[in-house]
Amino acid sequence: MGQNADRLLSYAGKSEGYALPYNDIREIQIAAMNERLQEQGNRIKLVNLRAQDAGTTEIRSLEDAVPLLLPHTAYKSYPESFVTEKKWDRLTKWLGTVSSHPTDNIDLSEVTDMDGWVEACLKAGHYVACSSGTTGKSAVLVASKADIDFTTKDGVDAVTWGSAMRRGDLRTPAGAGGAVAYTPKNAAMGRALMEAFCDLSALPQNSGAPLVTIGSITQMIALRRAIADGTAKPAEIAEYEAETEARQSALDAMGQKAVDDIISKRDQKLYITGMWGALYPLAKAVRDRGYSGKDFHPENGIYLGGGLKRAQLPDDYREFVYETFNLDPRNIYQMYGMQELGTSMPRCQKGQRYHVPPWVVAIPLNKLGDELASGIGQGEIVARAAFFDLSMDARWGGVISGDRIEIDFSPCECGSGSPSIRDNVVRYADIEGDDKIGCAGTVDAYVRGLS
Amino acid sequence: MSTLTQAADSAPFFVRGRLVEGSAEIHRSRDLGVDFASPALDLDALVHPRTELPPLLGVPLAEIIDFLAEAGQKLASSGNPHVEAAIEHMAKVSLQPRKAVEFMVRNAAEYLDKRTLWEVVEQNFPNPKALDEWVPHTDHQGRRSFIRAFPPRLIHVLPGNAPAQGIRSIAQSALVKSVSLFKMASADPFSTVAFLRTMAEVDPDHPVVRSMSAVYWRGGQENVERVLYRPQYFDKLVAWGGGDAINNVMKYVGPGFQLVSFDPKTSISMVGKEAFASDEAMAEAATLNAGDVAMANQEACVCSRFTFLEATPEQADRYCKILADQIRIDRMGEGAPRPLEMDLKEQIETLRMMDDDYAVFGALDGRGVVIRSEEPVDFHPLRKTSNVVCVPSLESAYKYVNVATQTVGVYPFDRMPELRDHLASGGAQRIVRLGEAGPSAIGNPHDAMYPLHRFVHWMANEDGREDEN
Repeated sequence: MGQNADRLLSYAGKSEGYALPYNDIREIQIAAMNERLQEQGNRIKLVNLRAQDAGTTEIRSLEDAVPLLLPHTAYKSYPESFVTEKKWDRLTKWLGTVSSHPTDNIDLSEVTDMDGWVEACLKAGHYVACSSGTTGKSAVLVASKADIDFTTKDGVDAVTWGSAMRRGDLRTPAGAGGAVAYTPKNAAMGRALMEAFCDLSALPQNSGAPLVTIGSITQMIALRRAIADGTAKPAEIAEYEAETEARQSALDAMGQKAVDDIISKRDQKLYITGMWGALYPLAKAVRDRGYSGKDFHPENGIYLGGGLKRAQLPDDYREFVYETFNLDPRNIYQMYGMQELGTSMPRCQKGQRYHVPPWVVAIPLNKLGDELASGIGQGEIVARAAFFDLSMDARWGGVISGDRIEIDFSPCECGSGSPSIRDNVVRYADIEGDDKIGCAGTVDAYVRGLS
Repeated sequence: MSTLTQAADSAPFFVRGRLVEGSAEIHRSRDLGVDFASPALDLDALVHPRTELPPLLGVPLAEIIDFLAEAGQKLASSGNPHVEAAIEHMAKVSLQPRKAVEFMVRNAAEYLDKRTLWEVVEQNFPNPKALDEWVPHTDHQGRRSFIRAFPPRLIHVLPGNAPAQGIRSIAQSALVKSVSLFKMASADPFSTVAFLRTMAEVDPDHPVVRSMSAVYWRGGQENVERVLYRPQYFDKLVAWGGGDAINNVMKYVGPGFQLVSFDPKTSISMVGKEAFASDEAMAEAATLNAGDVAMANQEACVCSRFTFLEATPEQADRYCKILADQIRIDRMGEGAPRPLEMDLKEQIETLRMMDDDYAVFGALDGRGVVIRSEEPVDFHPLRKTSNVVCVPSLESAYKYVNVATQTVGVYPFDRMPELRDHLASGGAQRIVRLGEAGPSAIGNPHDAMYPLHRFVHWMANEDGREDEN
């Protein structure tokens, strides 16, 4: 990578990085983005097209970077039929338009389903992660071995910056379980965190929980399509509903097992993971069984990533979970991140704000996401979150998210000079509601269930 | 807050004949995020008690139609201050250019024509007399009845994409003598009240005027909808659209409170190989096709979004080029269009890069773009976007017709008879000559029903047998 990008990336794993004020590194960041454009711009077709359309050959200011940022939706821009009709060669070609490494080395001869395609990509060195969109298409994100290595190391480092948890803590893993989509990236990240903070001999046996693979998600998408087209037979829908019910019962059973499991480990120093939507019921069940904070180890730690994801919980859900498991604030780690970025933004202890490391350029935008937000560089502003992650190797680092954030460029209460984001991130889609009404619409409104 | 109030356009309410002004609440229009101010909602005032007869019950249909026609002339006359102001306000909150808004509003007034209104009624009711009186009927076994199309109590959830619908809904409500509450959309909280104010100026105490209310609340707002959407207050809810808007409403539908839904629709075109008989035929078909795509900036349900074309990709590309050129003509004086939404742009850009299977004509600048493909794209073509799908035969496109398909424009016209049964079976509701998706014949079924017939409360008074006294 270029010297400016290298210089910023050299802060990875060092806490000094979070201390750097935005104004001190702004110029280096811009130069580093330009280095990335020169290196990757021609290799990533979509970025190349964007640059041509915008007439951009060089990034000399933050403004120059805006038209080159890819919305998160770019990673789900492939036609759905590539997946539902098993056009693996087309899907692979599409992947090539958002990848900086050629995808023509992928052997598709054995591929018969989506999971098989992900597998074939992996064999060729492309780590494909797929987000599980609740409806519609999954985002398909490609990463390289270098990306995975960076992400996992940074993920562990960020925990140690944002909490008192340390490598070699030899904690006992516990969690709320729940269905988590299996992707090579999630798996690698989970493994790295376990290796860092847990006693590997205490790792549980495979829980037997149903693995939510990308294949099972795409199956649902294909059925949804078939229902809309009117080609799905009642028996197919009945079969799917039965599968869904079976999966739900398995999840419920697993949730029950998780309660027994965490209670049985209550005297051990735990490393707890899970999403809020699963953690809260876990805590509630533990309380219902008569256990609470006093029964759990005082040095328990927790790793929290992601928001509520539309889970409906009482206002005090956080406190309730913290108190149940005797969690000391020092051992509560929470991060802000997104599938599209390779870097975690850890929350600081004192200011309770997510900090942006120097190799991630914060490019807050207006609500529409087509211009820089006003007031960048001074004080706190409300904006659509967009970033350029200079660490990305296999894909473009510039991403526009669907999140509304409050980002402050002045030093945080915790003493760190880096830009920081208030812990109240929301998705625009969730706050806008939808009272749009009109006579024009699609057949999607005629498909019930499957969301 | 006060500066916000000053900046926000005022959207007064109209409640059973009276204008209600105020700025107790500031709302934000959904599409363009423009603020508007409205008075506080007085829920009691919106409900007409069942112990009181509907104000229009005893008013003859002929008199109602006369009143509507008189109001229509007042609406159409240039310089009507309420209509002018509404157009001004709507241009700010609507996704459509000012000229399109203006056209639709003025065009709506034409609906308030005596002959048109009579025709609407006559098409909807085998015997329109049932609207005015208890019509006698004796069945073949000699049982006597009197049948009345009794005035219903209706809530209309108006669409935000068709300003003319407000006036049509007012007229239809008056024709069935209903007591009606119009819930306006955030994309147009102005026009319906402007129409009603104009009517009130013709006669402030006319029963038509006293039967109508138009207000705004945010769609899905529980503290209003849970209270109002009850069979004790209203018989039917007349709603346009789908998705969240309808899902919100569905939970209140139950015994005595029915839904008459105008569902969200996608319209398409079907163009046969005859379009390639000559350059002139191709130009004709593509030009007609463009008219169906681009009307009302492709915001309405009748606008064509997919064209199934009997052609090879090479033929299709020639067709698409003309189609794109025609769509891109700025017929509404829009000037510089809004940029395309990011995710739409992204998906079309992607197709541009998949160049073996897709071809893209026009540009992603909001003026119009055509995508040629082998199968329909999986996004909803908006903002003057047309997807031309090459098919070996129009018959092979039946599978793309579904329950959301509304209008199908066909070229050449003489192929309509061979297609229509299959289109109807697939779910489509209207088949027209290509280029004629916009105008529609007066009083025809809409969304596979005669709406006025559905609105009324059909009431029977059975009166024994002929051979009894």
